Amino acid sequence: MTDEPILLADGPLVELDRLDATIGWTLKPQGLCRDETCVIVPDRSALERDGLIDVTAVAALLDRPSVVDGGSGIAAIGAPRAARRGALVDLVAPDFVLPDLDGTPHALSDHRSKKRLLVAFSSW
Amino acid sequence: MIAVAIDEDVDKVRAFTDGITYPVLIDADHLLTELYAISNVPTVLLIDEDDRIAHPNWSAFATDTFREITGIDSAAQLAAIRAWVLEGTIPIDPDDARDAVGDLSSEEEQAKLWFRIGVHLHHAGDDEQAGTAFDTAAALAPHDWTVRRAMLPLRGGDPFGQGYLDLAAEYNAAGRPYHGVASARNA
Repeated sequence: MTDEPILLADGPLVELDRLDATIGWTLKPQGLCRDETCVIVPDRSALERDGLIDVTAVAALLDRPSVVDGGSGIAAIGAPRAARRGALVDLVAPDFVLPDLDGTPHALSDHRSKKRLLVAFSSW
Repeated sequence: MIAVAIDEDVDKVRAFTDGITYPVLIDADHLLTELYAISNVPTVLLIDEDDRIAHPNWSAFATDTFREITGIDSAAQLAAIRAWVLEGTIPIDPDDARDAVGDLSSEEEQAKLWFRIGVHLHHAGDDEQAGTAFDTAAALAPHDWTVRRAMLPLRGGDPFGQGYLDLAAEYNAAGRPYHGVASARNA
């Protein structure tokens, strides 16, 4: 799922043909696209730096927060804000996929049509 | 019932799960803290058959183990959950549900990302740079326990020791800000 957290250990600048693998969206003439959805890119040059694509600029277009650590060079991209606002304002539970203790992925939507009690806990 | 550990330590989490048959998931990247604006654990959400949030972030406890500290009466919460499950009783007015959690501020969003960078650096063996990232995260979201308390074991600290007590004092002094329904307190 491309809305999952992204960590770019080598920094936010990637080759154009690596953009899809990095963030799940592709730059096409009609804009930034994923499957059948495209987002208009008002200023394509704002996405580019040194001949590479700045993934944090792409993230901003997708309304996802980002941080670049100047010290280590690592870039982190967060989840789409729209998903959280859907939860808080529309009371719609955003789907997610996470592994169990054996590594098997489970989605919230695996149990759709059932009431679910979601408990977030920790060892700390 | 779905339990999600906001945690990257699989072994420590596994220790909690003896005899549990429902899914226990690992959220090492703290994704749910972004998607659901979770700032502390335990946080419980009730989600209905149509993916609607029947009750948003709830500081709910299943037992009264911590009642002396939190003042939270688990019986009332369990009764509400039971009524929802068995009778479909709506546990909170939807208008109250919409006001209950509060969106993450820009600083809180960034803090979670700095935390993630810190975790990566820690696992890469660079605890000096990890510490800088963790300090940045802590300054941005001083009352997000999924940032401040979660980082303690990653920095050689004890999340049940003095570091925790210091956090709790700061948190109390700030008025116990929590993204969610804190539950009626007796204390």
